[in-house]
Amino acid sequence: MGQVPSSASTSPEPSHRGISSSQRLDSLPSLEELIPSFDEDEEEGEEGGGGGGGGGGYDYTGDLPDECLAHVFHFLGTGDRKRCSAVCRRWLRVDGESRHRLSLNARAELLPSLPSVFARFDAVAKLALRCDRKSISLGDEALVLISFKCRSLTRLKLRGCRELTDLGVAAFAENCTRLRKLSCGSCSFGARAINAVLDHCVNLEELSIKRLRGIHDGAEPIGPGAAAKSLRSICLKELINGQCFAPLLVGARKLSTLKLIRCLGDWDNVLQTIGGSNPGLLEVHLERIQVSDCGLSGIANCKGIETLHVVKVPECSNLGLSSIAENCRQLRKLHIDGWRINRIGDEGLVEVAKQCLQLQELVLIGVGVTHSSLGLIGSNCRKLERLAFCGSNTVRDAEIACIAAKCEALKKLCIKNFPVSDVGIESLSQGCPNLVKIKVKCRGMSGQVVELLKERRGSLVFNLDACEIEAVDDIGVQESAVEFPPANASDVPSGSNERSMLYRAKLGLFAGRNLVACTFRRWSNGENSSNGKS
Amino acid sequence: MSSSSSSSSSPPCPKKMITLKSSDGETFEIEEIAALQSKTLENMIDENCASTPIPLPNVKGKILAKVVEFCTKHAEAGADAETLRAWDAEFVGVEHAIVFDYILAANFLEIPTLLDLACESVAEMIKGKTPDEIRKFFNINNAFSPEEEEDVRRQNQWAFE
Repeated sequence: MGQVPSSASTSPEPSHRGISSSQRLDSLPSLEELIPSFDEDEEEGEEGGGGGGGGGGYDYTGDLPDECLAHVFHFLGTGDRKRCSAVCRRWLRVDGESRHRLSLNARAELLPSLPSVFARFDAVAKLALRCDRKSISLGDEALVLISFKCRSLTRLKLRGCRELTDLGVAAFAENCTRLRKLSCGSCSFGARAINAVLDHCVNLEELSIKRLRGIHDGAEPIGPGAAAKSLRSICLKELINGQCFAPLLVGARKLSTLKLIRCLGDWDNVLQTIGGSNPGLLEVHLERIQVSDCGLSGIANCKGIETLHVVKVPECSNLGLSSIAENCRQLRKLHIDGWRINRIGDEGLVEVAKQCLQLQELVLIGVGVTHSSLGLIGSNCRKLERLAFCGSNTVRDAEIACIAAKCEALKKLCIKNFPVSDVGIESLSQGCPNLVKIKVKCRGMSGQVVELLKERRGSLVFNLDACEIEAVDDIGVQESAVEFPPANASDVPSGSNERSMLYRAKLGLFAGRNLVACTFRRWSNGENSSNGKS
Repeated sequence: MSSSSSSSSSPPCPKKMITLKSSDGETFEIEEIAALQSKTLENMIDENCASTPIPLPNVKGKILAKVVEFCTKHAEAGADAETLRAWDAEFVGVEHAIVFDYILAANFLEIPTLLDLACESVAEMIKGKTPDEIRKFFNINNAFSPEEEEDVRRQNQWAFE
């Protein structure tokens, strides 16, 4: 093929095959090298079935109608699609027309290219604009331009677009009224922007806001807006003034999912109000927020709740859990991270065992439970399929034996870091007839008992780890995290990120991940896709 | 009569056959239940046009034979997923020209399973290749001017993986 070497005006490119190495071009981050390699490739490309493409010199792809070619592209990832778009004009066009999802590196330098980018990708419905911390992001002008080009946008994701202001977002909202999902993280605009979105994007179903700097203490109230009628899912994370969302939270009567994670302020009142006004709530996730048993009792009035996560909320006790149990009889998934504070334990779980007979999944982290409540859970919750424990000293051999004996429907079991011995593990070789997968990570387990278990329960998927006492793992991080927000912000390193560090210090954040909860998130997301997260 | 090996619990009935006629005049018989995998044929059957041989001017005999084979296989009861997958892999492990014919036939006859299978097979031929390798493989003429090519490349750098 007689290709003219491309004369890049900036840096001269040596001829090479680019696919395995990435080259730095200009100062732009290089992702995939697209310059066609010259005659160095001798391969005929005869992969797959006999005959290959070299024979006869006929372009069979030319026979395919556009929609078939697009269908082929549909099976390719972004990298391959990019390479396809550089093959010829027709492939460029078909790829552009059939690309509905686009993710852009949203740096300010992109602005001049935006018109041609969106001329090429003229069918984008889902757009992500991501800017890294070190760069200046696209500004209002860019967002407004995008809103004119992509009027049928249904999803927008913004990350680190710090230059966007209320004005830009409001103008965007006026044009992209078909938006269904908005997710913003680490941006600087505020309440006015969100209100504009709520007023114009009347079909909005999902709203996810994380670390929005403009939602400061003096922010105007947010909501309800026209979108309150259609909103199904709201997630607020790491906000200094999450309370200003109260009118929206209460006004969104069709809300089915609510997640409040690491947002400052007292949430009892809001939760009590929501309890009275949002009967359709199905999933509630409360994590590292200031909520007491009053708030839990309040939200318990949403009697249809099926999924509840109460994670590291030190002011909640057995009382609050009992209130949930008494009212939310449809509870299917319950995750509690008691943070080893021991305010939630057997008492609360006994109530759950008595009332929540639909329970399918139970995850307990840092919760001191014993066989007294576990036995009852086992006997009563006949649908319990997934069980996970981690970080509690009270679960011992007797507790494992109890689970083995009583939890007949159990399919998946995960236990981590318990002082169990071979006796306890051995009991698992007998009970739980429906067990499919087991994950155990405990000290005090010997190789023999592992063998025994494998022998008796051959069909199981095992993931066994006899961990040592000194091992640093996720639990180690969790233990050190019992301290509350650090008092001294002076530890914060100075520099361009100082403000964001202070912001984080104020919220007392740390990157503790929980292995067990992650396991279950994986498991339960695989099982049902009712949670519309992508 | 019907030497059905399927473990169906429905009462045995004579298999209704449909006749298809290829562009080059060959005729093929296909069970109605297999034919229903094609939305095009399904519509015709619904509208009672299926009593006489259905002419398919867009599909050659050689390809139509294989399409009939595919639909028949996929209509079989009790086939387990893994075996079917292996069978499918063999089905598309043929000359590329034929795979493209499958795409065209599946598109015309609206057979989603065959369309997916054949398109994915072509996608596999594309995966991991550079633009130039793709061109060589499919014998595509690059009509880009150097400036156009540069534009595309520059734009592509803004798009994340």
